[in-house]
Amino acid sequence: MSVLGRVRARPQATAGVALTLPVAVFFVVFWLVPFLAAIYLSFTDYEMAGTPNWIGLANYERMFADPGFLNSAWITVVYTVCTVVPTIVLALLVAVPLSKPGRLNRWLRALVMIPAVMPLAATSMVWVIIYSDHGMANTLLGLVGIDPQSWLTSSDLAIWALVVMVVWKSMGLFVIILTAGLQALPGEVYEAAAIDGSGAVTTFTRITLPLLRRTLLFVLVISVAGSMQAFVPAFLLTGGGPADATQVLPYYIWANAFPYEHMGYAAAMGMVLLVAMVIVSALQFGFLKGGDE
Amino acid sequence: MADLTRRGLLAVGALTLLAGCGKDQPRQQAADGRPHGEVTVWLHGSQDTGGQFQELVHRYIAEFQVDVKLLYLPVGQLDAKLLTAFSGGAPPDVFKIGHWSFPAHAKKKRLAPVDTKALPLQNYEPGTTTPLTYQDVPYGVPIDFNPCMLYYRKDRFEEAGLDPDKPPVTWEEVAEYSAKLTSKDRRRVGLQWLYGDPQWALMMLTALIQGKGGELVAAGGAKASLATEQGRGALTYMAGIGNPTLSNPLGALGLFYSGEAAMVVSGAFLGPALEKLGKDTLTFGKQYGVAPMPTWAGGPPVVPAYTWGWGVAKDSPNQFTAWHLVNYLQGAPSVTANLDNGIIIPTKGWRDAGPRGKSEIMKIVADSIPHVDFGPIIPGTLELAKAAASAVDSVAHGKASPAQAAATFDSTVRLVL
Amino acid sequence: MRAGTILRAVWLLVAVGFMLLPVYAMLVVASAPDDTDLRGLVFNGFHLPENIGVLFGEGNLPTYLRNSLVLCVGTGVLDVMFSAAAGYAMAQLSFPGRRVLFALVIGTLALTPMVLVIPVFLIVKELGWVNTFQGMMVPGMISAFGVFLVRQFALGIPKELLLAARVDGAGEFRIFARIAVPLLKPALITLFLVHFLAQWDNLLWPLIVANEQELWPLPVGLANFQSEVGVTYHLTTTAALVTAVPPFILMVALQRYYVAGLTFGGLKR
Repeated sequence: MSVLGRVRARPQATAGVALTLPVAVFFVVFWLVPFLAAIYLSFTDYEMAGTPNWIGLANYERMFADPGFLNSAWITVVYTVCTVVPTIVLALLVAVPLSKPGRLNRWLRALVMIPAVMPLAATSMVWVIIYSDHGMANTLLGLVGIDPQSWLTSSDLAIWALVVMVVWKSMGLFVIILTAGLQALPGEVYEAAAIDGSGAVTTFTRITLPLLRRTLLFVLVISVAGSMQAFVPAFLLTGGGPADATQVLPYYIWANAFPYEHMGYAAAMGMVLLVAMVIVSALQFGFLKGGDE
Repeated sequence: MADLTRRGLLAVGALTLLAGCGKDQPRQQAADGRPHGEVTVWLHGSQDTGGQFQELVHRYIAEFQVDVKLLYLPVGQLDAKLLTAFSGGAPPDVFKIGHWSFPAHAKKKRLAPVDTKALPLQNYEPGTTTPLTYQDVPYGVPIDFNPCMLYYRKDRFEEAGLDPDKPPVTWEEVAEYSAKLTSKDRRRVGLQWLYGDPQWALMMLTALIQGKGGELVAAGGAKASLATEQGRGALTYMAGIGNPTLSNPLGALGLFYSGEAAMVVSGAFLGPALEKLGKDTLTFGKQYGVAPMPTWAGGPPVVPAYTWGWGVAKDSPNQFTAWHLVNYLQGAPSVTANLDNGIIIPTKGWRDAGPRGKSEIMKIVADSIPHVDFGPIIPGTLELAKAAASAVDSVAHGKASPAQAAATFDSTVRLVL
Repeated sequence: MRAGTILRAVWLLVAVGFMLLPVYAMLVVASAPDDTDLRGLVFNGFHLPENIGVLFGEGNLPTYLRNSLVLCVGTGVLDVMFSAAAGYAMAQLSFPGRRVLFALVIGTLALTPMVLVIPVFLIVKELGWVNTFQGMMVPGMISAFGVFLVRQFALGIPKELLLAARVDGAGEFRIFARIAVPLLKPALITLFLVHFLAQWDNLLWPLIVANEQELWPLPVGLANFQSEVGVTYHLTTTAALVTAVPPFILMVALQRYYVAGLTFGGLKR
């Protein structure tokens, strides 16, 4: 290997560079340079006009005195927890029975994918109608004697209206992933458990959950990351309103960049969001490593 | 190699940035006083006047051989798109934006002053171009000019034993009548505010605070404060009236239409809009009436107002034609067609442009022009308005006391102004 | 045991039924003759074909649909090509800068697009690409996910196979094209699918960079629909339905690869 390897090192290097060059150029131009520019901007007072002036940490200090930022950060935490936890629990409750073989299940598995592949723009459009005053949500609530609600225009309800939509949208996706994960589990373990006479609940908590840990972690990581970055639902359904009630952090960053033109401040908040995401992901992976030992 | 690359990248990054930011000088243009070439226009669509507007544009194209390109955008996306277009150095020539957006663009030198050779400003009612003027330079002309007034349901007044021909004149009376008009379960109320809407929250606070001699924004726009006696008083007053949990797809205006709200503050457009809504048309003078904006007892009249405005980009290579087109679009046929829909283009003599000009609603508009207050004309109005909506909303929902909400408002806007 | 099976089936039917309720509502409203009934519970005739006819007859929907297809297929194919080349090289070839590149790719996986929008916009502007197809397409052309996916997959190609080819005197590019690409095929199909779905849903970037309706893809057009004169709720819903159809067809056809792509991170290292 070593002799051959050395002989072949040069053509390999040429081919390697040639095959990766387009991608390398692309990542430098459209990711690295903009990222470095954004870091630089976060230390400036850039207002989308004129020259950026270096202002040190002022943008980062400003966040902690800004009720808008603190409010958005809090809403993002609430939104993330309240979308991630119900989505995963519900998806698991559906995926466990759905992963069993059978003709009915095969059909249902295909149907569950429909919400997952619905484009978000189309989804939002449909949910605007569901949440309208005489829409499906109020009609169904009316059947059980609850008064109609203004889902998207009440500052008490709007965030929960978004949460329900997002849970619905991502649940389909997670059911598919978890079902695939469950089907990949070794069948013998279950047979052994059945012979031992373990009940369904015991089997689930003692065998299924631990074996499924890696898939669950994957689902957790992508759903947390997705919720922390969620922008489109608030943008299309509520515009961050009413009265800031759905102003999740990505929306606040967007608003600061675009209508308000505080590009430097927006960049700084973007950095904080990025760091928060890296920390949260690291915690999740650390959690998995701990479980492996 | 790594080190070299890194430094190179930083340089490239900085260059890209500077290239994007430094373009302040306008492109040279032929100021020959004759419309020509191509003009792009960005605006939001309107179901009522859209057809008439397009017809007018086609006539302009035919008459002056100017290529006019229209792009309709949703209101919520226009600002963001306009900003990226400005920062990218490729703005449209003409755009229709809210008056609250003018100061920020003007401050950043993105707007072309009105070319009075193409568009005579003296045609406009005095005072109506004020919010489109920044540091004494006029940058736009108004369309959809809306001073506030009070709409009230005569049928609801009668039910509650109030005289249907005597609408409240003072804020004290509004509160008193509202108490009488509000049902026990608060499903039916007196005056209903437009909760959650930034621009309206700012207008109502302006009316209530200024009417008491206070100031929401002081020192020429350098300082804003709600944590004043008048500010806290305004929040308390607003929280005591209306019900923020009532719902209707059309908001407070829909609640007024359904009769759940007996009074609402709105603009001239509401009258014609009510006539078009649904099957149970409301007739002016029968089911509802209008009254001038209330004042505090013994206080000065303060009539909050907003307007949309046409602006032209400083970077536009075709400014004369752009203003020429705007002037054409604001001409007599438009004034008439808009007036029919309750939309006011305040050029002189606008009330004579159509039968609706003689209506009670338009008389109130005309009478209120001297007392019109467009709120602070400063960059940062958007954030100010948003903070105002948050303050009003949190007090109305009982999430914060007036003092707390005022303090939050102050610490938010301190960072902005 | 029998009761358990029935109970399980009932629970599944109820749960899946609830998940499909909004889809059902979409069908109902999209099939309505007008937008007076938005409850989405009872079919009021089946006017879906007429509604689609209206949208394709007068509106801009055909333009949006065409743009979306060009955008998604175009960048999808490019992403597959470049990611295949780079992913394979990073997994199987030794060349200078490999580690740096890998770090770059992994790093971009974590970046949130929100902060990059303006700098990327300025670069696109410098290139003179504002308001062009390439301006819309190129910045989203290659995804870190794609390169990463192919690399992970390519790690599984047996070294001996490549070595044997080299001993036989095959050039590196020939090895890549003739041996690696066929082996990578499942990963490449997955990548195309994931890329297509993500681009089909991309609202933010085209919204910023495309100033002419002629260039707009579906999400931007859809978000703008209400401001077009004469468009009402039931037609908007019909448009939403039309938007959802291509991803759905693709998904049904390539379901296996889609699931493989989704579970990739969960099952493999």
